[in-house]
Amino acid sequence: MSELSASSFAPIEAHQQTQVISRPSLSYWQDAWIRLKANKRALVSLYIVIGLLLFTIAGPLVWQVDPAIQDIEQISQPPGTDRGATIVPDYEPWFGTQGLPGSGLRLAEPANSQTVRMQWDALPGANGHRVYRNLFPVGSELAYGIPLAEFLNNDTLYFEDRLDLQPGRFYYSVVALDARGQITDQYQSLTVDLERVTTLQEALERGLIDTADNIQIGDEIELAWHPLGTDYLGRDLLARLMAGARVSLFIGIGAPFLFVLFGVVYGSAAGFMGGRADQLMMRFADFVVALPFLLFMILFKIAFGIGPGESGVFPMLVAMVVLLWPATARLVRGQILQIREQGYISASQLLGANTSYLIMRHMIPNTLGVVLVTVTFAIPSAIFTEAFLSFIGMGVAPPTPSWGSMSNEGIKTMLTTPHELFFPALFISFTVLAFNLLGDGLRDALDARMRNVE
Amino acid sequence: MSADGKKLNADAPLLEVENLHVEFDTYGGTVEAVRGVDITVEQGQTLAIVGESGCGKSVTVQSIMGLIPMPPGRITAGSARLRGHEVLGRNRIDGKEIRGREIGMIFQDPMTSLNPTMSIGAQIAEPLQVHRGYSATDAFAEAVRLLEMSKIPEAAKRARQYPFEFSGGMLQRAMIAMAISCKPSILIADEPTTALDVTIQAQILDLMQALQKETGMAIILITHDLGVVARMADEVAVMYAGRVVEHGSADDVFYRSAHPYTVGLKEAMPTNDPALQHELKPIEGSPPDLFAPPRGCGYCARCPHAMQVCDVQPPSDHFLHDHHFSRCWLHHEQAPIKPETIYFKDAKA
Amino acid sequence: MLSYVLKRLAQGILTVWFIATATFFAMHNVPGDPLTNDRAMTDTTRANLEAKYGLDQPITTQYLIFLRNLSRGDFGISFVQENREVNDIIREHFPVSAMLGVLAVIFAATGGVLFGALTALYRNRFPDYLIMFLVIMGISVPSFVVAALSQLSLVTFNNLIGFTVLPVAGWGTILHMLVPALVLGLSTMAYLTRLMRSSMLEVTSSDYVRTAKSKGVPATRIFTRHQLRNAILPVVTVLGPAIAAITTGGFVVELVFAIPGLGRYFVEAVQQLDYTVIMGTTVFYGAFLVFMVIIVDVVYGLIDPRVRLET
Repeated sequence: MSELSASSFAPIEAHQQTQVISRPSLSYWQDAWIRLKANKRALVSLYIVIGLLLFTIAGPLVWQVDPAIQDIEQISQPPGTDRGATIVPDYEPWFGTQGLPGSGLRLAEPANSQTVRMQWDALPGANGHRVYRNLFPVGSELAYGIPLAEFLNNDTLYFEDRLDLQPGRFYYSVVALDARGQITDQYQSLTVDLERVTTLQEALERGLIDTADNIQIGDEIELAWHPLGTDYLGRDLLARLMAGARVSLFIGIGAPFLFVLFGVVYGSAAGFMGGRADQLMMRFADFVVALPFLLFMILFKIAFGIGPGESGVFPMLVAMVVLLWPATARLVRGQILQIREQGYISASQLLGANTSYLIMRHMIPNTLGVVLVTVTFAIPSAIFTEAFLSFIGMGVAPPTPSWGSMSNEGIKTMLTTPHELFFPALFISFTVLAFNLLGDGLRDALDARMRNVE
Repeated sequence: MSADGKKLNADAPLLEVENLHVEFDTYGGTVEAVRGVDITVEQGQTLAIVGESGCGKSVTVQSIMGLIPMPPGRITAGSARLRGHEVLGRNRIDGKEIRGREIGMIFQDPMTSLNPTMSIGAQIAEPLQVHRGYSATDAFAEAVRLLEMSKIPEAAKRARQYPFEFSGGMLQRAMIAMAISCKPSILIADEPTTALDVTIQAQILDLMQALQKETGMAIILITHDLGVVARMADEVAVMYAGRVVEHGSADDVFYRSAHPYTVGLKEAMPTNDPALQHELKPIEGSPPDLFAPPRGCGYCARCPHAMQVCDVQPPSDHFLHDHHFSRCWLHHEQAPIKPETIYFKDAKA
Repeated sequence: MLSYVLKRLAQGILTVWFIATATFFAMHNVPGDPLTNDRAMTDTTRANLEAKYGLDQPITTQYLIFLRNLSRGDFGISFVQENREVNDIIREHFPVSAMLGVLAVIFAATGGVLFGALTALYRNRFPDYLIMFLVIMGISVPSFVVAALSQLSLVTFNNLIGFTVLPVAGWGTILHMLVPALVLGLSTMAYLTRLMRSSMLEVTSSDYVRTAKSKGVPATRIFTRHQLRNAILPVVTVLGPAIAAITTGGFVVELVFAIPGLGRYFVEAVQQLDYTVIMGTTVFYGAFLVFMVIIVDVVYGLIDPRVRLET
């Protein structure tokens, strides 16, 4: 202990006794904001959400590609594929090449995405031939693939394939037919690699080259770039995702906002009025909950005169708003009832507050937390619902893109072109994840009672 | 205790807590909840721990029981010895040898302190099954007997009921029955009557005293109500801002108070003595922020007699007589004001 | 207890009535009548149907006919699949959906309670982080993606092993049910895990658990009798609607795994505007949902004495 002088025992100054306020006092919202920022996951989610909104709104301004345009030469291309195409002369019909060297099933000229020309010699004992094409080798199961043409005599021994040609590898087979025109086990196979080509005309039309560039036949040009690849109709995936974002987020955010708003008004009214009115209103809400969602979705769609196969964005929105508000209403009502019993309400009334003051100054701010969190959790739910409905064909229909309908299309070709499913599903998952984590963070930050103890 | 203090009994105290320091990590920083607490409890004695909310009384006893969750909480120094055996810092699973068996505890709010999905009888029977190996039926029968001992009417029927069917006072009795079921040597009561009506309060306190007489157990009674202290306590420890500021027998602390805080508490107590016609004097100000505890005496900011040294250094123990001590700079020989003029106003020698 | 059950039953019947009425009037307010679909229908068939359902009568009469048929359990005949009673459709395909649904719920409930309790016990340690990560993934990935991916992995798995360990599609044996049920229950399991976790954490920091600790009750006993029992209450509450949602929403899984369940037929009926099937299935699903909620409420009453004794 240090030496104590006489002055140590002098009376203390008044100002020394004032309590030093070591921490600044914070308002409820400031405190919540600090807590939210401290929550790393929620903060990252917030950035993701903001990023998504930018993607949706500003994206098309940066990536100005029309989502509806079909790039025929690049159908179902995953990102990063080679985009080179050779210029070839315009197409002219072909009727076989006389004196083609070689024997058996062979190509008359190099195969490309414009046309594949093949010739063969008559197979022994054949009364005709059928031409097949497959994405996989024929193998021992004799899986020839899709039939392209049939010739019931041996006069025609050539064939030109122009069906849906994509750069890549095809396996062609020529199968001998018997006297009755049935296929036999006799066949010949040919592995063909297709090169991507386009004509001058098309290149000019699509704005890939300029007349000033002086491109000749045989030159290589680059086709349009698709950072995320293309879908089964050759449409740019990134542009479609942006357009789809608009639909998915419009419903995903718009619907929850609306039905939460309605729920808040309804629930506050019920909670505030109390008594019989409250009971009646809640009974009605209970009944609405029991209504089958899918059915009413469909009925709204019909009622709006939208047939199967057409997009029903508006009916979907209406159905969600009309059927999903009760949960929020009940929540808000519960909050209001709780708040009404609190001491500060009575205190405020005793100090002379009137009803509107109580509502504006006490009830609404105290329910805002709950409402905000509800909205944040309702959004992923709505996005899923939209995706699901579009998936079963009850929501958005092609050609209008939405992440759900894109996933639907993508699932069909999941094994061969997984990127068509991967990107929309990724976007859905990310969005849902971000909103879920953000909702968690908001709940932790805003209400001690609701806090998920972590 | 230090050499100056002479203990009343020659035997070792039943429970001895020395220099206990407990901290908590919160999102706003580290709170030093208990900053060097010493208390002793003798056999069969009632020790009252008095102080305002937040002074650290609950944390002190809960640390002894090992009920403080150790991730946010931390015992940074000190020891607690039950009959000479160290109990602090023991792994909580081992702590069960003491909890419920040597030391029983009841809490402030009986409504939330009982499992809503278990019958009262089953909950009282539980410690008997755990510590004494009773069968379920035997334990239940004993539970009924304990309820009777706690003056609950129709005990057999009540034992089968659930907490929500009991009133607050009855629940507290049931809690007491539960806490003493294994005949502990100490009963810790953390503000047992704060949530109850005054009339019920009296009944509960009477019950506790009766049980004490019967079983000879010691009681640690935590309260902020001086009336309860006057009624029940043999010894009193006054706590403020995480420290014990005065400790002594009930008589000493009440009639020969040696700390400005104790005096302040007494003066803030309403009384119905017609002879004393003075205004209620509340203690101005509020307790210090324990996120940044004061480096001097914790009471400095509110003390009417504060001196320069009070702001700078924590006061040391000053022993008055017997084991009655106080932590206040006014007892220092250099202090200008004679403590007798402040403290011994109503002195009864 | 009995009065509680009876009261809930009465409420349930009222709700089903409401659903039926709402459905009926909704469908009748839609432009066109149920028979205006370009399907080849002979005039006699059309006349018969019109007579049976009173389609030429004023709407109130139609409603009464509808209610009368409903009370007899007669949902009518499918408009699309002629000569097939809706009852038959339901009878044949609902058990499939129900079995799938029940199995999925068992997975979801046991998994949810187990994992939720685990994360609470091992809070902020590795098992907690791992499980919560999987949970977040589980609620973020759309069900159709999960279904498709799981089927894909099943195919790959079978190929690796060399023979069909678990069938990839179809219905028949218990082996057929395992993977689809798991996939179906996955998102509910994730949700229940989270719910159980927060419930457990709340219970763990409650006063009565503190009391139990102060009595020296060992940790395992505290876990089962004090924590689990109270923490499971919110999960049970949610289980009722969850069961119904799983069973009625199993459509995606039924589609991907080629399972002949009612969900698939319902959506097909919807796409083809098969009036009677839509109505019948909707009312049936509604009744099922109500019934499930009642069962759950009764179970809840068994666990939480406050509920059954207070009413």
